[in-house]
Amino acid sequence: MTAPRRLRKELSDLQDSTIKSFRDIKADDDNLLRWTGLIVPDNPPYNKGAFRIEINFPAEYPFKPPKINFKTKIYHPNIDEKGQVCLPIISTENWKPATRTDQVVQALIALINDPEPEHPLRAELAEEFLKDKKKFMKNAEDYTRKHCEKRPAD
Amino acid sequence: MSGGGDDQEQKAPPSASTSSSSAFVAEGVAEQRATPEMKRSAVRSLIHRYFHQLQTGCGNAHCTNANCASSGKVAQMTPNEVAARALQLFSQDAQLCEISTQSSSATSTSSSSSEPTNSPQQQDVDMLSPNDSSNSSSSSSSKSTTSSRSSTTTITSASSNSIQSQRALPQLTAASTTAGAVGAAVSAAQPSSSSSTETPTLAPVESLDAQVLETLYKKGLDADNYDRVHQAISDTFSSIERLSKSFIKPIEEQKQVPPPIPAESATSASKELQKLLAKSPVALNKEQLRTLEGEHDKDEDSTQQQEEQVQEQEQQLEQTEINTETTTEEPQRTEDNLDEDEPMLKQDDETSTEGEEDAQAGAGAGQQQPKPSETAISGDTQVDFEGLRRVQRLLFSAPCRSLAEELTISVMKLADCMRYMRHYAPDWEQVLHCLVICFDMATNTKNGVTDMEYLDRVLPKLCHAAAVLPVGSQARLARIWATHCADQLKALVSACQQQITLQVLLDEEAVRENEHIISVTKVLKIVFYANILASELEIPSCRLPLELDELELAVGQEQSAAGVSSSSSLAAMAAIEDDFFIYSSHVTPHMPKFAEDQLEKALQVSCIDCRNPLVPLEEFYNDALSDGIQMHQDYLSYKTLAMESELGTTHSNYFSFMLYAFILTPATKVDALYYDSRMRMYSERYSSLYSIFHNLNHDGDQDVAPPRPDLKLNVRRDQLINDALVGLELVAMSNPKDLKKQLVVEFVGEQGIDEGGVSKEFFQLIVEEIFNPAFGMFVQQEETNNMWFNATPFENGAQFTLIGIIIGLAIYNNVILAVNFPMVVYRKLMGYRGTFYDLSDWSPMLYKSLKSMLDYQGQDMEEVFDQTFRISYSNVFGEMVEHDLVPNGKDLTVGQHNKKLFVNLYADFLLNTNIKQQFNSFRKGFEMVTDESPLKLLFRPEEIEMLVCGSQEFDFVELEQSTEYEGGYTKETQIVQDFWSIVHGMPNESKRKLLEFTTGSARVPVGGLKCLRLLITRHGPDSDRLPTSHTCFNVLLLPEYSSKEKLEERLLKAINYSKGFGML
Repeated sequence: MTAPRRLRKELSDLQDSTIKSFRDIKADDDNLLRWTGLIVPDNPPYNKGAFRIEINFPAEYPFKPPKINFKTKIYHPNIDEKGQVCLPIISTENWKPATRTDQVVQALIALINDPEPEHPLRAELAEEFLKDKKKFMKNAEDYTRKHCEKRPAD
Repeated sequence: MSGGGDDQEQKAPPSASTSSSSAFVAEGVAEQRATPEMKRSAVRSLIHRYFHQLQTGCGNAHCTNANCASSGKVAQMTPNEVAARALQLFSQDAQLCEISTQSSSATSTSSSSSEPTNSPQQQDVDMLSPNDSSNSSSSSSSKSTTSSRSSTTTITSASSNSIQSQRALPQLTAASTTAGAVGAAVSAAQPSSSSSTETPTLAPVESLDAQVLETLYKKGLDADNYDRVHQAISDTFSSIERLSKSFIKPIEEQKQVPPPIPAESATSASKELQKLLAKSPVALNKEQLRTLEGEHDKDEDSTQQQEEQVQEQEQQLEQTEINTETTTEEPQRTEDNLDEDEPMLKQDDETSTEGEEDAQAGAGAGQQQPKPSETAISGDTQVDFEGLRRVQRLLFSAPCRSLAEELTISVMKLADCMRYMRHYAPDWEQVLHCLVICFDMATNTKNGVTDMEYLDRVLPKLCHAAAVLPVGSQARLARIWATHCADQLKALVSACQQQITLQVLLDEEAVRENEHIISVTKVLKIVFYANILASELEIPSCRLPLELDELELAVGQEQSAAGVSSSSSLAAMAAIEDDFFIYSSHVTPHMPKFAEDQLEKALQVSCIDCRNPLVPLEEFYNDALSDGIQMHQDYLSYKTLAMESELGTTHSNYFSFMLYAFILTPATKVDALYYDSRMRMYSERYSSLYSIFHNLNHDGDQDVAPPRPDLKLNVRRDQLINDALVGLELVAMSNPKDLKKQLVVEFVGEQGIDEGGVSKEFFQLIVEEIFNPAFGMFVQQEETNNMWFNATPFENGAQFTLIGIIIGLAIYNNVILAVNFPMVVYRKLMGYRGTFYDLSDWSPMLYKSLKSMLDYQGQDMEEVFDQTFRISYSNVFGEMVEHDLVPNGKDLTVGQHNKKLFVNLYADFLLNTNIKQQFNSFRKGFEMVTDESPLKLLFRPEEIEMLVCGSQEFDFVELEQSTEYEGGYTKETQIVQDFWSIVHGMPNESKRKLLEFTTGSARVPVGGLKCLRLLITRHGPDSDRLPTSHTCFNVLLLPEYSSKEKLEERLLKAINYSKGFGML
């Protein structure tokens, strides 16, 4: 299976890196355009677990942005029930071919840690987040415990 | 211009008017001209001196020179004879009297003005002396006669026609008689006594420039007397000759400007030569004279009389000049003829011969001027726009309205002259200079002053004048406008449109014959091309042949990028060029020769070359005209023209707006196309009916099936595509001409006669099936909902040809199809190659990314992008396919030096090479139906799209029915109901924007808006936030605004300012 030179390099760079909050990065054996990885957030209420994501690169990468999908369910104003996330850095309007996947992942982690209720995908969660932070935190924590993957030991 | 303010003496008597100094700044320019020019002007001035010596004498009462009027030995002669004699003297190197203080030169009157005199005209001249500029220049004129004379004598404007000489001659003769008889010193300076209005010593204003005019104006302001300004304006602006010497760019500035054309005609010297060789615009002055005479008759008041004086001076001077001019022009010839007694006749002869030569040499002004086709057309002009605009502001905002009035009248006269000039093969460069000035006066809006009066009265006449320019000069005008007046094109367009609209309203009956409309339309075409030239052009990448191989393109581009010229790449380039010519000959045959746009040819641009015209091309549509034009009549004119060109006769004066398609709205052009199709259908029908009849008459030979009068398709509903394709294939292979017959569709087993409805249904059904991605010929592009050719199709080329036929048939039979092609398809159908720019519509995402790559300036490009010349894309099965843009592309990394090449090759691969086979087949089918139609003549690619798809109507009711709600909204929520009531009331354009705002694409997906599945989500309670959207999922986030008004205001703001803002 072939893949753009850059993508292969990005993959090995990411695998070699020591980012704590994104690990376990793998490309599909039969499709180098599909990666999976584990997001390990630092901030409550998501720091109780880890979240599996999938990154799909288009054939035209880097001239078209990758798409990110949450495989693990998450209670988050910016991520919908299907796991779709609207990340500005990879939106059609903002994508730059010079953007690297590690930057995308950093942006994603930042979004997980600090939700942006101003641009919600799930408006009801955003409203809860703004109006009743306590309730939101509780719900999110419960949800996280229920659905999340185990955090790596270290 | 500033020559020490010696503000001595002479307060101007307010009564004195008319006339002013002759010598102006132009001389300063002349002084610095190159040597050949100096020589020429020296010769000219010498001859001039002889002339004046013969006519008025040296002023020395004791002169002994037999050839000096002052000696009394000169016989009475007509001015023409005087001129001939002067030339003779020149060739004999005869004795020339010293110029005394009583110089006889009319041009140096102002310097001789110190002489005591009682004539009011003389005082008048004196009055000018304090004027810095005129003073200094007049002194220069007396010192260096050479240069000063050159300005007075250059270029003929004049006048050897009989009418004028009737007026001018007796006076002149009288003048010379007086001079001869009296022989006194005064004779030179004093007005000749034979006529009270005669002032031979006072030259009219020869040329103006901004500073002079400004100074004059200031003086006028101080003295509260604008007579001088008046006179300067009327003198300068009513004569082509004078105006063409006015408002010349200061010399330093000119030097900065690189020479306009590398060819010989470029140098100022040869320009001057052209001017010299210019023919005398005889009738111009006839015309001028008539106008002036008319005025004279009407009005006998003093001002008029004074004006009259000026005219007479003019005439006299022109008379003089024409003679000198003739002689300088062709010395040998004139010398040969010197002994002839009738120089008048001789000159007429000359004019006519030269006219013939001109006709042979094309639109040139003389033998020395290269044909327009031989040189690139330059956009250079001598016009001093800066100064001109200062003057314009001055005149139009002056408290004294009469100045603008004067200008208007003068320019109108001038325009009339120019209009009739074409009969006399004038120097078009001069005319051009005048036109540029006059148009600039009309449309320059930068100053914030436009004079409506001037515009309304002058513009139609200017348009008449510009419309008769030869193509080469029109092309020059377009270039000049594009180079120097780009900011005014918009104003020019709207001014022209106003004129046309006005005329249409005034003359509803005969819109097509209205000569005002026609000439303004012609000018608008010049503006149209100027507009294109002023915009960013894409030449030549989109002009490359469609058949060109990617590899050749790579070689060609690489070569042009690197500037390397190895022999092999040169050969490749030659191959490309060869290819191009074959290609263009392949493209053009369908464009009838007469319909070729000569201007387009001369300028070598077309509207297809520019993507973002400075003035949107829609602004060139004239609705009133398009509505009032009665297209069937215009189509007949078009057909007549076509017939004439076939027969080789071009005598009639038919005018068809179809050749000026830019001015017609698409709807009107559709009419034209409709008439054309109908005409062809009928003619095909009759010819087949005739042959049926013919066959019957002969013998009932049953073996040969008689041709059908129409194009009949029998199709079964369940086998629609197969039946249609088989049926069409049969026709296309056996007799492609039959495709141009009227289409009649019959569904097997169904009754119903096809009067258009059945074929409409047929098209609708077949398009739905063909473009169904499951059919495998086209793929739908996710990002844009556009249909694109399947690069790995299962079908062969013939299928694509048939689809091309169907698209062609839809246009031909006036049926709108629901197809979503990206614009590049229509450009390619017109024969242009898709380029990088076309990606913006094909895949906005890709375009943006590649653009940001192009814009990347860092030297670390190789590391940052890590991109090679191997690209990948996914095929119809979703598999990734790799492609090397250049051989071994995977080893070539994209860097600063080759990023452009990469982007171009990438775009070229996607838009052209990758689908080459499919597209060529498709286009072949399209051409089979439309090759004879004026489609290409009338429509731009974007208009063809409209033709095929109709204007995009958005069915928002359908959208409402399929919309879902979240976050507390339901169908019944007040704000949701308000939202829809606002949206349904929106104009189409706003609906399009809303669609783009919420979904990222303004295109309706196949299957209609209901397939969009819009989601409207509550975005908190009432706030001042704007609505936002997630284009990825078609989500609209709407805060629950407090009122409908607020919702509307916020919503409109959001969709109108959405670009790069508010979207996530």
